[in-house]
Amino acid sequence: MAALPAGSLFFEKPLMATSSDPATTIPDQDPSEILTEPGGGKPAAGTGPWRLAGRRLRRNKVALAFGALFVLLVLVALSAPLFANHVADTGPNTNHLSDVITIDGEQKNVVEFDGVPIGPQGLAADGRFVLGADRNGRDVMVRLLYGARNSLFIGITASIITAVLAVFLGLLAGYFRGWVDAVISRGLDILWAFPVLLLGIALGVSLSLGGLDLGIFSIEGNSLWIPTLIIGLVGIVYLARPIRGQVLSLREKEFVEAARAQGASDWRIMFKELLPNLLSTILVFFPVLVANAVSLEAALSFLGAGVQPPEPSWGTMLGEGIDLLISAPHLTIVPGAMLTLTVLSLNVFGDGVRDALDPRAKVRLEH
Amino acid sequence: MRSTLRRLLVLALALTMVFGVAACGDDEDTGDSGNAGTSAQEEGTPAAKTGGDAVTNLTSFPDYMDPALSYTQEGWQALWTVYTPLLTYQHEEGAGGATLIPGLAEAMPEISEDGKTYTMKLREGLKYSDGKAVKASDFEHTVKRVLNLESGGSAFYLGIVGAEEYLKAGKAKGDISGIETDDATGEITIKLKEADGSFPYVLAMDFVGIVPGDTPFENTTKNPPAGVGPFKIENMRQSRGFDLVKNEQFPQIEGIPAAKLDKVSVNVVKTQSRQTQDIIQNKVDYALDPPPNDQLREVKAQYGDRYEEFVTNSTYYFFMNLREAPFDKKEVRQAVNFAIDKRALARLFGGGLEPGCNFLPPGMQGYQKVDPCPYGDPTQAPNIEKARELIKQAGAEGASVKVFGNDEDPSKPVAEYLSDVLNQIGLKAKPQIIEGSVYFQTIGNQKTKAQIGFANWFQDFPHPRNFMFLVDPKSIQDTNNQNFGNVDDPEIGKKLADANKKPIEEAAAEYAEVDKRLVDEAYVAPYGHRKLANFVSERIDFENCTVTHPVYQLDFTQLCLK
Repeated sequence: MAALPAGSLFFEKPLMATSSDPATTIPDQDPSEILTEPGGGKPAAGTGPWRLAGRRLRRNKVALAFGALFVLLVLVALSAPLFANHVADTGPNTNHLSDVITIDGEQKNVVEFDGVPIGPQGLAADGRFVLGADRNGRDVMVRLLYGARNSLFIGITASIITAVLAVFLGLLAGYFRGWVDAVISRGLDILWAFPVLLLGIALGVSLSLGGLDLGIFSIEGNSLWIPTLIIGLVGIVYLARPIRGQVLSLREKEFVEAARAQGASDWRIMFKELLPNLLSTILVFFPVLVANAVSLEAALSFLGAGVQPPEPSWGTMLGEGIDLLISAPHLTIVPGAMLTLTVLSLNVFGDGVRDALDPRAKVRLEH
Repeated sequence: MRSTLRRLLVLALALTMVFGVAACGDDEDTGDSGNAGTSAQEEGTPAAKTGGDAVTNLTSFPDYMDPALSYTQEGWQALWTVYTPLLTYQHEEGAGGATLIPGLAEAMPEISEDGKTYTMKLREGLKYSDGKAVKASDFEHTVKRVLNLESGGSAFYLGIVGAEEYLKAGKAKGDISGIETDDATGEITIKLKEADGSFPYVLAMDFVGIVPGDTPFENTTKNPPAGVGPFKIENMRQSRGFDLVKNEQFPQIEGIPAAKLDKVSVNVVKTQSRQTQDIIQNKVDYALDPPPNDQLREVKAQYGDRYEEFVTNSTYYFFMNLREAPFDKKEVRQAVNFAIDKRALARLFGGGLEPGCNFLPPGMQGYQKVDPCPYGDPTQAPNIEKARELIKQAGAEGASVKVFGNDEDPSKPVAEYLSDVLNQIGLKAKPQIIEGSVYFQTIGNQKTKAQIGFANWFQDFPHPRNFMFLVDPKSIQDTNNQNFGNVDDPEIGKKLADANKKPIEEAAAEYAEVDKRLVDEAYVAPYGHRKLANFVSERIDFENCTVTHPVYQLDFTQLCLK
């Protein structure tokens, strides 16, 4: 989990003191010398904090490379229908158990009589079975791409749910304190006490059969929304607590007092004054939340409590491939590699974002 | 002086090490696969056919090691060799193994004209493995335990007069009026409420493997009682294993051979791949579970001389709920039968499925191959076009269907396959995968309204009644229903009611007619019969000593070393 950016000048509103702001200008000092570029050099006169952060991020080539890798993975996932319809000529759930294909003039069974599926064929089969077939004769490449769509949809959407709920609860708890804080914090403690994976399995298994029926809306048991909501809910604790901590600190700042003095309501203070100052924290946490959500989805699906068949996800593909680890290793290597790349790229990019937004070592008031 | 002393000490140390290594000796005779055999072997003569120990594996410990309670293959395979009922089976493969012979009874029962009274006499001079004498009254005590302990096998014995009343009374030592025994003469008389042609087979089940009259009315897994059998149980290692040790008290009973091995150690090893690897390396001699799909190629290619497949008396089929649309329509059910590719399904079993058209398995009495199969040759491609036509005819295009399966292999991929096939023929299907331990209760609950799904049945005994109860209208229940398709055909009900009363020789043709009707009316969609395998270590005399019984699989009594 990325470290909370401490000492951030984003805490103050207006966001950062500029050289023209008398409140932060040290007397008898050239204001342009107060803010220095990283590594010295010409002072960044008039440079906003976001631009500074962007500049720092752009200098972090490794983070950018992994960020680009993640974007590429998303684009590849989005291209799944194109590949399925125009290249592989099959769907992600179409079984080809008894089919025969021609490779270099030779007839080969997609799945042999003893149940072992064909391995990666590259381009030898005109785009079919590029990464081989699985036990049901389904095209692994097609399932990998559709699996990417499902895994990333769940990962990103669950993280958005986590972020929205965590920020809301953290704001309420940190701002109102008292019994509101006590109730929310104890609720988070209870949630924290459950091992995440076990809780996810329990909810996933129980909801996958009957679905979720809340009266006003209902979700079928095999819908992707079931694992999405479960992962979104169990992740709240990881963000809500740091947000609460920050809000506890921020609410004592002068700009909050000033807003109160001007007659702003509590809700206005929370969402107009405090929330913008939490953005950096949210941005730092978000890539890591997505990485964790993608990992958790894979674990739940591997155990049968996440994405329900026949929908593919990297986790279900890993679970299906484990029984043929020796005779068809491509069934585990391929989704495993994709999962590793995705989580790695998000974590490295997330580290880069954290470094970019944490100016402790980069920007400081000079005496 | 000092250097001399040092040299002496070094010499003494070296001598100690040399003699110490020599004293440890050679452990080849008691290696990981157990005792190598008799003294005849040590003297260099050709390997003896008797004696020695073997080590076998299970992936899970038997549900119970109590004959009254055990209802799994893991339990039965061992308990059959320890507790002999009044009747038992020949220790042979195939049809011979399905033939009943007297066990502890001295002859096959005399059955009254009306088929309701069975009279037998206990063999004389029988002793349990602990030396106690066997009495006729021990049989009634054995049956009482089955009923009193609410065994899974209780239902088989509720047809005995007084059995239900005994249960209702709730007194363990109460009387079952329909069983009369005379310890002095050894006579045993059993009265049934109605004639039952399968009752001799029920008398041969492990549930009524006779135990001493003082065996408590409780689960005796931790401390199994003595029995009359080629082996006795020793060294019970709860949840981890047990030993079957040759029973020196076992008398000569025609048709039941004495054990060839001195001991068979049964241990639990939870993964099939590990078991297979241990057999390959000769650390273990046999495992009940066949090699997993992943290792089958290697085993068949490199160790084919000690690997053998056999077709079991089992049927794998899709149930189709006649009470739920769209399977209430015959055309839709026929479409499913036309559409399923049995060669494809066989691949999901790693080749371990014999495609078939019938509901009864080929090794079952009463089996008559439905030829030609109305849905096409099971070994050829399916007829998807015909299936689509039938769906259109039935007006069922686009009908929403949940295909039930469980998370145990190969049910899940089978359910996914069937969903895809149903989508191809015009239905809108999705798999519904349920946890294995609650699967059958879930689909057997009418409230679930399971439309179609995975089902299978392995015989309890080689009589067609044991399969036909799955489609008997009388079997339909609200919960724990095993007639998952709610097959309620009056003609089938009438034929089964009639056939069930007769001895199998007279009833076989009727069962065959029921089987044909099941296929013609597409009440079920059977697709094959499971093939399992024996894979043994190099130590085992594979050619002469691996006998696969149709009910109990590998016969431990006939297992021997090279």
